[in-house]
Amino acid sequence: MEAAEQPTPTDLELVQAIKAGDERAFEQMVDRYHARVYSLSFGVLRNAEDAEEATQDTFLQLYRKIGTFDESRKFFSWFYRVALNSAYSRARKRPSAPTVAIEDYLPRFNSDGHLASVDLRDWSIGVEDEAAARELASRAEEFIAELSPAYRDVIWMYDVEEIPADQIAEILEISIPAFKSRLHRARLYVRQRLGEIAGSARREKAAG
Amino acid sequence: MKNEDTGCHAPGDVTCQRLILDYLLAFEEGTMPADERDAFRRHIEMCPPCVEFLSTYEATGRTLKLLKPRDIPPDLAKAVVSFVRSRRRDKE
Repeated sequence: MEAAEQPTPTDLELVQAIKAGDERAFEQMVDRYHARVYSLSFGVLRNAEDAEEATQDTFLQLYRKIGTFDESRKFFSWFYRVALNSAYSRARKRPSAPTVAIEDYLPRFNSDGHLASVDLRDWSIGVEDEAAARELASRAEEFIAELSPAYRDVIWMYDVEEIPADQIAEILEISIPAFKSRLHRARLYVRQRLGEIAGSARREKAAG
Repeated sequence: MKNEDTGCHAPGDVTCQRLILDYLLAFEEGTMPADERDAFRRHIEMCPPCVEFLSTYEATGRTLKLLKPRDIPPDLAKAVVSFVRSRRRDKE
């Protein structure tokens, strides 16, 4: 007779086992979260080597700080906060990249509240073409990197990592309305920049 | 009344500014109250610039979804476990 399959332990069960010195539980935690920590770190650092090192730092911090984790809180949010802090700690060791003033790229309106007459031609049809869409995605990644951390973290976590809104608000220790405002402004910025490059590609094509 | 400058024909309280800055996210999420959703839709029906704005905003979201998944370095999990073990040994 085959042995009954072990149920998958919850995060809290793994935390308790790690606190009790269970090495296997720590390895399971690494298996469960290393890819997500790496991807989150990449969002901050934009570099594979730095993201890998930040992932290692994060799990070392987990090992060192797990004794202080309050088990009435959600592990996921606490641990992502640890991961973000590790990534930022590594980012501070590098020369800081310039960030954009997002207000300069938000849509402009006339005094009556209607859209100002700017280039509003619809470029979304180009996104139906897969190669063009992938090229735009690659540029979108660059535009996200130009944002200040307050906006960059929110759009990266929500639109790329697909972490639920309430969890992001908890990780970043901001309100849900603040989260929504940042996400919307970050998307408006990326939309504006994608429109600029799509417009310039269209003009080049028209010129022949 | 038509706004000659922008091509927006929408009457009423919902301006392009309100639609884009205040309502758009809630509309996309489907969390907007029914009466506001109706006002939003009425505006869009009469405002070609907002239609274009909306379709490019949605295209931005679709484009961002293409960024996932990111390639994870092979053996990263093993490297993490080895790293943590070596730092613990250093401390001991």
